[in-house]
Amino acid sequence: MLPLLKIEWLKIKKYPAFWWMLAIVGLTYPGVNGMTYYGYLKATTGKEITNNLAKMFLGNPFAFPETWHSVAYFSSFFILLPSILVIMLVTNEYTFRTHRQNIIDGWSRAQFITSKLFDVLIVSAIVTIVYFIVAAGFGVYADSTLTHQWTKQLQYIPLFFLQTLAQLSIAFMLGYLIKKAFIALGIFLFYYLVIENIAVGYARFKLNDIGRFLPFEISDRLIPPPVFFSRFGKDAKASYDHALSLIPGHVIYTILLTAATWLICYAVHKKRDL
Amino acid sequence: MFGLLGPNGSGKTTMLSIILDILKADTGSFAWFGLPGAPETRQRIGSLLETPNFYHYLSAVDNLTITSAISSRGNAEDIDRVLEIVKLSERKKSKFSTYSLGMKQRLAIGAALLGDPQVLVFDEPTNGLDPVGIAEIRELIKVLAKRGKTIIMASHLLDEVEKVCTHVAILKRGHLLTAGEVDIVLANEDIVEVSSNNLDQLLSVLEKFPGHTHIKQDGKLVQLFLPVGTARLEEINRFCFEKGITLNLLLVKKKSLETKFLELTND
Repeated sequence: MLPLLKIEWLKIKKYPAFWWMLAIVGLTYPGVNGMTYYGYLKATTGKEITNNLAKMFLGNPFAFPETWHSVAYFSSFFILLPSILVIMLVTNEYTFRTHRQNIIDGWSRAQFITSKLFDVLIVSAIVTIVYFIVAAGFGVYADSTLTHQWTKQLQYIPLFFLQTLAQLSIAFMLGYLIKKAFIALGIFLFYYLVIENIAVGYARFKLNDIGRFLPFEISDRLIPPPVFFSRFGKDAKASYDHALSLIPGHVIYTILLTAATWLICYAVHKKRDL
Repeated sequence: MFGLLGPNGSGKTTMLSIILDILKADTGSFAWFGLPGAPETRQRIGSLLETPNFYHYLSAVDNLTITSAISSRGNAEDIDRVLEIVKLSERKKSKFSTYSLGMKQRLAIGAALLGDPQVLVFDEPTNGLDPVGIAEIRELIKVLAKRGKTIIMASHLLDEVEKVCTHVAILKRGHLLTAGEVDIVLANEDIVEVSSNNLDQLLSVLEKFPGHTHIKQDGKLVQLFLPVGTARLEEINRFCFEKGITLNLLLVKKKSLETKFLELTND
């Protein structure tokens, strides 16, 4: 297992696109959360009563411990960035024909897929580290008097990792099955941004929310919109609590879906001509 | 030293792909070292299949590090050794994508040599090399063969197989036409080309020349076919002269290999 990990890390660390992805993620995560934080500040500073009311009701979403949740939620919109890298990492193997060479040189077919699983694990872990640093940074910056609360809501770190892993696994499978980077990326984008959003929205009102079992929505529900989105009105509070209560179930569904994704890849690779 | 010979599309690479577990065979079986094909047996074989397959953004050393890690053949010193053999030491830090076709091919040969494996599989190893490179690689292959390595080499280049192989199999459209020792399968005939002012007379005289297999008129000259190694020009010259014919052309054309190959592979 360890040699496999070492080989994949060598492939990744010398790949310029990896550093580009890391740089863009490193800018995007603070950027998008910073913008939201700025919006929050604007809504809560000022002398008018509404502003103070907003502050009272919202709490500071970027102070500890809410920051773990808020930053995870906003950062997870940008799964697209590491997805590009994951798709490139697998389609590269086809472009360079190294998917054959690795087997010729003595990997089993299963080892090849395991090596790709490591790719996705490595990228997921690195993205999670960036998230962790950004969330912790906002926590300290937003309200340093609350830093003692940093241990609360830490569950969002593994939840963010699981969500990233699950969604990148789907990106991987698309790249693996389609073999062409741009086609895989196009399908991924179109499905992720357009089709599934429409389907989930439609199902929410018409089909008893069955859309929560769609491939990306399953793991999207691991990190529901943060509490300050819903502090206005009783129904909103109820729906937030409902969303929270669904998380444990979705952890299981997500793990099952991700396992199935990889089992399909293993099964296909066992039979496939390379 | 086993040659796999056949025209383009005859199934040479397909066959090598099957025994290296890249393609799944519909029927049939194979064994390496008396064992069925498995990752462990492939690790003991140095292979170059069809094209040099490396990570474009990695250097020669990084690429070979990966090959070495996957195959458990060779180490850092060995990587330097094989790069020296294939003359890429000076460019070992350059990215693969900056290499010329010939350099890529040499790197692939270097990768096959890692860890000095007992068995080597080369699929058209001299593809893309310049004449000097071709000569060098052939020399290298001969040296390896002399050291007792088993080498399986596919090629559509006849003289390549003839020059370096001891055994050969000829494929055509996926079927085995013939297999055996090179000297027997690709048995050459000596062809002597002769010409004189009177071709008809020449033909009728040469018909009586002892020991020939057959005679063919080819434009303004006559081709006399003799069993391999029996063409003695003085005898032919004297024979004709004694019959009153003065030759204006007399030469041995040794390469009937192509003719032989075409005979074998044509319908």
